[in-house]
Amino acid sequence: MKDVINKEHVFNHTIDKVWSAITNADEISTWFLAADFKPEAGYKYTFKSKTDHCEPIFGEVKEANPYKLVYTWIVTGTEAVTTVTWNLVPVENGTKLYLEHSGISKYEGETAIEMFESFNGGWTNCVNRLTDYLKELVNAG
Amino acid sequence: MQDKITKLFKAIADPTRRDIFHALVIATSALSITQISNQFEMTRQGVTKHIKTLQEAGLVHIVAYGRERFCNADPKPLKEVDKWLKFYSQFWDSKLSALEDYLDSKEG
Repeated sequence: MKDVINKEHVFNHTIDKVWSAITNADEISTWFLAADFKPEAGYKYTFKSKTDHCEPIFGEVKEANPYKLVYTWIVTGTEAVTTVTWNLVPVENGTKLYLEHSGISKYEGETAIEMFESFNGGWTNCVNRLTDYLKELVNAG
Repeated sequence: MQDKITKLFKAIADPTRRDIFHALVIATSALSITQISNQFEMTRQGVTKHIKTLQEAGLVHIVAYGRERFCNADPKPLKEVDKWLKFYSQFWDSKLSALEDYLDSKEG
């Protein structure tokens, strides 16, 4: 039973540019979620969305060495800890990203329910709204 | 409803149970406890315990036939887990697309 999400994406940009976009708080806030973030192991980060009724995401940076970034991912109000891993590899004409989000099967019982509730609740709407917001930003800029 | 989800996550949290469930899914017919024990080199008691957990989650149905019990897989309850995966899968697709747009729009 698959319980890990894996994404691969090639960006036509240098590895340092991509690394900066995923580790610099100002940049993360532009394309992802409003971030209080430092690429330092042990840093307790927060990702917030700009709209109300959205639970912030928080967690701890586990590893941040170019070009691998690992942090835990917890939806506020829940106990469930999942892990997000970003791996960057230089390829011809750009950078390949391997993104992994794991893993529900590590969590039994109560925490799994909370995880379930966290996405069953209002968070989905926040994400959609945020995507619209980002699109507006890109179109405007 | 909550109770159901607890049981489901409990059932899939264990790798051996996932393997047993997988074996039942790909089996062309119901498997007996004895067959599962042989296949996984486990005691009947151990298999029975795993099967019970899977049964409680609704992932396995058991039919008694004589002295033997036969197990059938039912993947329908896994839709709940699938929902989680689909949600985050879409989330990351949209985020990576936003990251690409951001990088493309950024100078340098």
